[in-house]
Amino acid sequence: MQITKLKPVFYVLAVISGIVGIVMYFSSIFSGFFFILLALIIYYLYRLLATDLKTVKSDIIPLLKNLLIPLIGMSSAIIIGAIIMALTGYDPIKAYKALFYGGFVKNWSISILNATPLVFTGLSIAFAFKAGLFNIGAEGQYYIGAMVATFLGITFNLPPVLSLFLIFIIGGLLAAAYNFIPALLKVKTGAHEVITTMMFAHIAKYLSSIFVRGMGGDSAGLHPYVTDPILDTNWLMRFKSIFPSANYRVHIGILIGIGMALLVNYILYKTTFGYEIRAIGQNKDAARGQGISVGKNIFIALLFAGFLAGFAGVTQVVGLDHKMYENLNAGYGWNGISVALLAANHPIGVIFTALLWGVLDAGGQYMTRTTQIPNSIVEIIKGIMLFLIVARYIYSWLGNRIKRKLGTRIKKSGGAK
Amino acid sequence: MEAFFAIFNTDLLVATIRLSTPITLAAVGATICEKSGIVNIAMEGMMIMGAFFAVIIAYYTGNPWLGLVGGVAAGGIFSLVHAVATVTFHLDHVVSGAVLNILSFGIVRYLMVLFFGHPGTTDPIPVGLGGYQFAIPGLSKIPVLGPMFFNQTPIIYMSFILIVGALFFLKKTKVGLHLRAAGEHPLALETIGVSVYKMRYLGVVISGLFSGLAGAYLSIENAVSFTEGMSNGRGFIALAAMISGGWTALGSFAAALFFGFADAFQIRMQIFKVLPIPAEIFIIFPYIATVIAVAGLVKKSRPPRADGIDFMIEREDG
Repeated sequence: MQITKLKPVFYVLAVISGIVGIVMYFSSIFSGFFFILLALIIYYLYRLLATDLKTVKSDIIPLLKNLLIPLIGMSSAIIIGAIIMALTGYDPIKAYKALFYGGFVKNWSISILNATPLVFTGLSIAFAFKAGLFNIGAEGQYYIGAMVATFLGITFNLPPVLSLFLIFIIGGLLAAAYNFIPALLKVKTGAHEVITTMMFAHIAKYLSSIFVRGMGGDSAGLHPYVTDPILDTNWLMRFKSIFPSANYRVHIGILIGIGMALLVNYILYKTTFGYEIRAIGQNKDAARGQGISVGKNIFIALLFAGFLAGFAGVTQVVGLDHKMYENLNAGYGWNGISVALLAANHPIGVIFTALLWGVLDAGGQYMTRTTQIPNSIVEIIKGIMLFLIVARYIYSWLGNRIKRKLGTRIKKSGGAK
Repeated sequence: MEAFFAIFNTDLLVATIRLSTPITLAAVGATICEKSGIVNIAMEGMMIMGAFFAVIIAYYTGNPWLGLVGGVAAGGIFSLVHAVATVTFHLDHVVSGAVLNILSFGIVRYLMVLFFGHPGTTDPIPVGLGGYQFAIPGLSKIPVLGPMFFNQTPIIYMSFILIVGALFFLKKTKVGLHLRAAGEHPLALETIGVSVYKMRYLGVVISGLFSGLAGAYLSIENAVSFTEGMSNGRGFIALAAMISGGWTALGSFAAALFFGFADAFQIRMQIFKVLPIPAEIFIIFPYIATVIAVAGLVKKSRPPRADGIDFMIEREDG
């Protein structure tokens, strides 16, 4: 009984040690990993003390069960990738060594940088999925966020923290507003959001070309066109300013992403709005029967998804690029689809799948540089991985087949007697 | 006035046909696919596969006609993945399409390095189909319509035939009727003893063949090599054309012509610089038209009733 009173203490300790660990890790101090581990231990220790072993077990076992299919899918994809490489005359062992060495060790900072925008777009798409919506146009909202950040980054001359805060909020809100028409059409006429948001994504891409030329993109200069750089005061803080030994490019965007994932998780599972969203995603008619306003919630969910994807564009500009490129074809919106699907649309899972995608991209580049094996093999492995994890029906189909085979064998042996 | 005639002339209309052909082909194919009840957003990927394999085959055999067959086949085979994923494994259609698009970029890039040693552009094929342009005697002499429709390259003629063929197939044949039933009322079709799965496989594969042909047009007729990104979102514009065309073959063709015209016009505007309007305004036209079309402002624009809805049969033998 006493121990439950200490709940806040345990939680604060776990969160603090988690944040310290992550900050240290991203500052190239790898012993930060132990703090992350410590956070987990504190959390489960509390659960153990507050309840009993059984509840903790019932916490962990479904988690492991949920991880089973992704793990099978991932390892099969890696094996298929190895077979493809072996058949086409590359050494798969050398390739994977370089891939994982590059992604996790040598260029891990690039992995983090790659993962940062993916966390936001992945969250955006995952959140929409929870409401039964497919925000396939996150790419467009990403562009809007990036444009707003570039424009405000060049023009805002305010105290640093305030201006950054405003850039994030305005960028997010305008990206949300970009989903206004798709959301309105969805609610009023039933126009499918896959079509409308996808079309809006293409429109945003072309609008961004006009924008880049308008913001100092020099048509006589280099291709691709680039805008003027944003003011130094509007740069997102880097880990280097806390730990001088940190990689100079890694910025705190990933922490904002993790915070956002926790927020989305809270909204989805702890608030009435989140409950209603999930109810609609599972069964629209049943939700309507419960008296939930389907139209209103869908409308808000699509706008919020836009808001999240807008953050991806903002972080990329104020954190990493500090200017905007034309035709950058970054594809963070499209890749966000993979990230969300892979995480089974769970906000916390998105953090990890985004990091996985970041690692594979960074490792793939390193692999190509050092071994000359084309990094497009990574794209192929990613695609196969997705198929094997998303198409869950494959496993029950296989299971049925095996059962049937066993069944007929039993029948046959029965007949022989 | 001079600038006006420099833009609005027969050449503009001929260019319209040339630019709309790949969109038409992919859009008509997609129409058949969606009529069977499977949503297809993977035309872009199927086009890329078609374009690449058309070049590979034409490059190694030296025969562009074999390349054409190879491109069409590649589109069809690649579309089988979509069919297996959506029909047999009941994966969400949009998810499968999105994954296929991503996958196609990776596959083509990987094979490109394997075959040609570098990404970017393949080596040129010896002869392209563009060299087989021929005028139909008599008809090609008609002013304006002659150069547009009767003095073209092979795949453009094929696209005209295929539009008529698709119309005939959907409206007049028994299989076409069954295919449409699979998209409108799958359960009723299954009750009369026709396999919905088979019809949906057929729809998807036809779409793959059409998209493969569209890809072959881009790489071995309109050009003589494959360049990464040469499809440039045409698969998505084809999707736009199909929707704007109200999920019908003729409507898709009309919308594709319109989008092709917008593209041809945009290119001319860029060259002649008559108006101080950014060219992108014209490029985004198809996308805006599509949003207007799905918003229901165009009457009759309605997808098949069971489009995108999974169909699962519970059989005793599993």
